[in-house]
Amino acid sequence: MARNFFTMMRSSAPAATAAPAASEQRSERAAPSPPSPPPANMKEAAAAGVGVHLDPNLEAVRHDFTEEIEMALQLREVSAFYGSFQAIDKMTMPIPQNRVTALIGPSGCGKSTLLRCFNRMNDLIPGARIEGEIMFEGRNLIDPNVDAVEVRRRIGMVFQKPNPFPKSIYENVAFGARINGYSGDMDRLVEDSLRRAALWDEVKDELDKSGLALSGGQQQRLCIARAIAVQPEIILMDEPASALDPVATLKIEDLMRELAEHYTIVVVTHNMQQAGRVSDYTAFLLAGEERVGRLVEFGPTQEIFTNPLDQRTEDYITGRYG
Amino acid sequence: MSAAIPTAGITPFAPRIRARRGLSVGFMVIALLAITASMLMLGALIVEILVDGAAQVFTDGSSTVAEVRGETLIDLPTPENMNWLAWAMPVAILLPFLGLRVVRSLIADIPALAERAIGFATTLPVALFVHILYVRFESAYYIEYAKAIGVDGASGNIVQLFGEASGFQFVRLIVAGLILPLGIIAAGWFWSSRLRRPSLLLPGIAIAAWVVYLFLDPFFLSSYPSRLPVQAGIFSAITGTLYMMVITAAVAFPLGVGAAIYLEEYARRNWFSRMIQVNISNLAGVPSIIYGLLGLQVFVRVLEFERSVLAGACTMALLVMPIIIVSAQEALRTVPPSMREAAYAVGATRWQVVRFHVLPYAFGGMLTGNILAMSRAIGETAPLIAIGALTFIAFLADSPTDDFTVMPIQVFNWVTRPQSGFHEIAASGIIILMLVLLVMNAAAIIMRQRTRTDW
Repeated sequence: MARNFFTMMRSSAPAATAAPAASEQRSERAAPSPPSPPPANMKEAAAAGVGVHLDPNLEAVRHDFTEEIEMALQLREVSAFYGSFQAIDKMTMPIPQNRVTALIGPSGCGKSTLLRCFNRMNDLIPGARIEGEIMFEGRNLIDPNVDAVEVRRRIGMVFQKPNPFPKSIYENVAFGARINGYSGDMDRLVEDSLRRAALWDEVKDELDKSGLALSGGQQQRLCIARAIAVQPEIILMDEPASALDPVATLKIEDLMRELAEHYTIVVVTHNMQQAGRVSDYTAFLLAGEERVGRLVEFGPTQEIFTNPLDQRTEDYITGRYG
Repeated sequence: MSAAIPTAGITPFAPRIRARRGLSVGFMVIALLAITASMLMLGALIVEILVDGAAQVFTDGSSTVAEVRGETLIDLPTPENMNWLAWAMPVAILLPFLGLRVVRSLIADIPALAERAIGFATTLPVALFVHILYVRFESAYYIEYAKAIGVDGASGNIVQLFGEASGFQFVRLIVAGLILPLGIIAAGWFWSSRLRRPSLLLPGIAIAAWVVYLFLDPFFLSSYPSRLPVQAGIFSAITGTLYMMVITAAVAFPLGVGAAIYLEEYARRNWFSRMIQVNISNLAGVPSIIYGLLGLQVFVRVLEFERSVLAGACTMALLVMPIIIVSAQEALRTVPPSMREAAYAVGATRWQVVRFHVLPYAFGGMLTGNILAMSRAIGETAPLIAIGALTFIAFLADSPTDDFTVMPIQVFNWVTRPQSGFHEIAASGIIILMLVLLVMNAAAIIMRQRTRTDW
């Protein structure tokens, strides 16, 4: 269904004409130039993959994509609130399909909140609410009429701290598929998922062992396998390596790169090097005085890191604050 | 780098890691003594049996039953003449285990043969003990037989056992009463420990059974109430208690757990749920007699359950429900939020999260709370008296609508009688009640240990 929606979008939008123009513009941008004027038609712009600065009232800086690419998610003016506290304010950006997108920014800038908007995890927090639009397959995820359970099945999540169920490794992986009515060969699905999570070789002889008996890095890969087993389209990762040692971190990062071939990955990270290593696109978020997170800049990771358009992005990346 | 730090005058503090082995010479001696003593004790026991025969060792030689039957089978045992045996048995059971514990702490790898030897020395007393129990029950059969044919003095009743309420008897009661709970708790502790330790469960059970054997008579457990203290038993009260407990648990556990799940997992945090929460806590503190009056009106009169097991069980269910709800809520709260999130993140509905994750992980804790609540209900007397439970039941309840009695009411009744014989069987009734309570609490402790998950 996802494919249908996006192919439809692509065929109807003037993507082919927009792309060359963008590439020209990018090559010209040797000296920092003011952001290019936003396209008049938001939908068109999104489909064309031209940029993110869709609303002239917003201050987010856009980069232009030369890459012709489908969008897995399209955010429009997404705001999130916890009770009366506003956590993020009117973020507008795309999440490119089959790419790794990193959300970076200092603590408290709303990265995790934004990530948890994508699969409606914030629904579970009393008093939390979201405004705006997150388009996924032509529907607004935030719409209360959209089934949050279905959303979570299509958009999986891996958490900061590895949290395998206190059950066997097999059951950990099989659980999601089972409750979603998977009727195929469960053994094969489990093996497949564990293989994709690069864990199969280490656990294939002890699938009955408790998931909690694994090491931290293995547990996190088990959680990734668990997310994969549901066959989602997007995998959200909330600082997946922050609780792991460097070797395990490297494994998770390699895994992210491999998974990006089949899945769209959105990763929140505090680790700038990690964002630089694994992500194709980067969004820089920053909270102002009033602690409301805003999107500062979005673009290809290389551009963000080597040639940021916003001074604040540059300051953050060079370690001047945050 | 360390050279830069001035060390003169500073005594570097290095915590001495005290090696267990190095310290344990004293323990070694104790272990050897313990093993030697237990071996000697066993040897003495075996020699005594071989020389005198089991009948002489375990009985007092009064041969009424055998005479009646015209056979020379066994004689009736009474505890008075087997004091040293009474003491030797628990010690003989415990010592090898203590020895094994210490030996294990001294030597990392005990030769398998030595371990087997110690194990054998441990199981031997237990096996012997089972044999003694067998003899005991066998004799109980003859007691009843003797009664049936009207032979005096053949009663193995508690009255006889407590006939002389001497100081020694009293001390023995106290000490035995201490050994039992300590043994069970220790058993649960050792059993649930993750370290490789010899389990104390078996000797714990053996000691408990031994104490029961010393002080209680099977006949007392299997007789109905009587106007004669000698013939009175607690059978109908025990079965009534069990019957009521089963129904109480069947009513209170699902309702209580359901309420806890609703409050913890589903209810929004608003004034209504807070009010319910406060009220539940308050209900836990309401005097039980008030529940009795409520049960009398609601169950006995309005619902017309009469003075039945069902009415009693429903009243008890009301009484213990707050305890069950609160403990179940506690258990649910111990399941980390990350587990719920993990389940939601793979597309589980709220019910699936509760059904497949929260509930299974919290179930051990819920069960523990339930057992503790039941052990409160088992001792409650006032509400049942209020609803009019009977005290003289010479039959077993067939259906939940039959009359019934329970142990505390039976004991209460005996205590209020003028005859001293009834006071004595009241004492033994209390011991049984305490035993049941201790077993239930021990089960709760063990269950809590076993079902704990380290997140």
